[in-house]
Amino acid sequence: MYALVDVHKRYGLRTVALRRLNLEIRSGEFFVLYGPAGAGKSTILNLLAGLTKPTTGDVRRDGQSIAHLPPERRDAAMAFENYALYSHLSVAENLAFPLRAAGLPKAEIETRVNRIAGVLGIPHVLQRRPGFLSGGQRQRVALGRAIIRPADIYLLDEPIGHLDAKLRHRMRAELKALAVEMKATIVFTTTSSKEALALADRIGILNSGRLEQVGTPAELYNAPANTFVASFIGDPPMSFLSVTARPEDAVAALYTDDGQRIGTAPASANGMAGLQVGIRSNAIELVEPGTAGALAGRVGVVEHLGHSNIAVISTGKDELQVSTEAEVRLRPGENVGLRIDPAKLHLFSGGAAFADAAPARNVA
Amino acid sequence: MARITANKLVKRYGNFQAVHGIDFDIADGEFVAILGPSGCGKSSTMRMIAGLESVTEGQILFDGKPVNDIRARDRNVAMSFENYALYAPITVYENIAFPLRSAGKDQAEIDRAVRAVAEKMELTPLLGLKPGRLSSGQAQRVGLARALVRQPAVFLLDEPISHLDTRQRYRMRRFIKSIHQEFGHTMIYVTHDQEEALALADRVMVMSDGAIQQLATPPEVYSRPANAFVAGFVGEPPINFFDFTDGDENGLTIEGNRVSLTDPLRARIRELGPVGLAAIRPHFIRLGADSPVQLQGRGFITEELQDHNEIFVDVGSVRVSLIAPPGMKVARNETVTLSVDPDHLLLFPADVKVKAHSDDL
Repeated sequence: MYALVDVHKRYGLRTVALRRLNLEIRSGEFFVLYGPAGAGKSTILNLLAGLTKPTTGDVRRDGQSIAHLPPERRDAAMAFENYALYSHLSVAENLAFPLRAAGLPKAEIETRVNRIAGVLGIPHVLQRRPGFLSGGQRQRVALGRAIIRPADIYLLDEPIGHLDAKLRHRMRAELKALAVEMKATIVFTTTSSKEALALADRIGILNSGRLEQVGTPAELYNAPANTFVASFIGDPPMSFLSVTARPEDAVAALYTDDGQRIGTAPASANGMAGLQVGIRSNAIELVEPGTAGALAGRVGVVEHLGHSNIAVISTGKDELQVSTEAEVRLRPGENVGLRIDPAKLHLFSGGAAFADAAPARNVA
Repeated sequence: MARITANKLVKRYGNFQAVHGIDFDIADGEFVAILGPSGCGKSSTMRMIAGLESVTEGQILFDGKPVNDIRARDRNVAMSFENYALYAPITVYENIAFPLRSAGKDQAEIDRAVRAVAEKMELTPLLGLKPGRLSSGQAQRVGLARALVRQPAVFLLDEPISHLDTRQRYRMRRFIKSIHQEFGHTMIYVTHDQEEALALADRVMVMSDGAIQQLATPPEVYSRPANAFVAGFVGEPPINFFDFTDGDENGLTIEGNRVSLTDPLRARIRELGPVGLAAIRPHFIRLGADSPVQLQGRGFITEELQDHNEIFVDVGSVRVSLIAPPGMKVARNETVTLSVDPDHLLLFPADVKVKAHSDDL
């Protein structure tokens, strides 16, 4: 198990990369660091690899501090987004390099090189030099060189980010299958929600050097700790409505800023400022305008994504994204009714998940 | 704003022909995405429209007038490239005003135009800042504002959002689409990302090997792809391709599975002959034996994407992906039966290249 304990990381005087960050990476887990560019994802990988040291705080392996161990005395295998390959060696030799360095027998090296080349779909380029490869092929060789050797931890920095869509899709499945088989400990960074959900045992959502939430894909999707996480997990992202709570019987009724009643929450929501309801695009059904119990909406942008459409629909001052079947025809400016599944509402107060709203932070 | 027409447009670099005599007609105010893998000719095409590349043969017309010999800066074309270089020493306001100042507009007009575009692009609070203080998303919006401020005849965008995270991509997409709805420019958007092309464009121009493969609305390129290349390039997750053999009126064989055909496909197979490519989208394959069209396979892996699962199954030598409801899974090497929706089976002539990844071509 690896741990970052109270890690603060500054570059120079002004740039704070990580702020008092605590994180555990468990043995054998596929851990995905997900967040926007500049959130600190690569800094965490560099700390685990020993390429950089924490400004304050500690990096530990199985409880022992390794913060001051140089990279060569750690057992981490790394693949970077910007792949550095040996240009004078063939792909096969590049892949074999870490195994030769580890002194493996020749036959074993050959078996492993062929196996990994198969997994990555590059057997036909094994004899080429890196200069004769496409960008996507180079990135796969770099990934292969990292995962070909046994290592205590694999640190993969957006390793499939430069591949075309078809390859990315295929590599995602291959990588996950390989990780399961190897029972490897992997830390993987990405800026794609889909990739994070598809690959991870657990995801850490990073924002400006802070961890917003750590949990399984299902936890983050179903019970996001705050609006940042909620808007980051899921494709398309969750949308939000500002609401006000007013007492109603023993509960709080939630109203949009233009006075439409949207649902209820526990009475403790009454009087709270900064309430927002989060709704995923698949929790909304479009109905005839004026339908009882439905919010009034007006269609803005409609995106045709092939199998489905995403419509941006304004209600009051807010906008909701709604997924529809591809056949549903909506015109910008058209009025629609929005029926929202009350079991699928997420309530946030001041940006944080509304604490009193049990179970699973849903409002009823 | 302008209508953009290309007649037999050719671009050659030395002996290499990047664009092979293409024709298209983009209506005034239309939003067209040029979609294709790297090297397909999309950037050359855009650069010829912009006037950044000479036209080797053929013609480009703006509103019916040839522009081949008109210099880039006289075409009134706005461009926003992925590297939206802003001038660091001057404020956001001055960055946006720059093209108008160069054009010698008077201060009152400049001020009006800058404030109008800033308001529409939600940049008003940032006008006094220098670019160094902006987030990358903000800097990009400033780049777009600068391009839009001088009321261009056509607005060209070259993959401005491909490097953003999921949330930012959605924001920028909305934003670009709303710019189009607000300002109504003819817009041409060049991208390798099929989702962006479908989401944004009125029509998608799919290019490969220097030729237009299809120019049609997003639902058309998705549901009625003109050829196997378009079928493979458009759609997420990507379409599944199989080689078929023994095709005749009674059906065809896919990886050892005999598949019967619907009436329209029987007509199709008469044109194609006994061998070719069969394609089916992941959304039209199910786990289970509830369709007459079945494939036998072995489970590979299940991805749980929360709102749905994506399941990979090996059918013979083909790794098939399919979309399933949450909770449905396969185990590695488990024997599974897949049902294919026969109405959504697509048949194409045999073609080695479409099955490869564009990286491997």
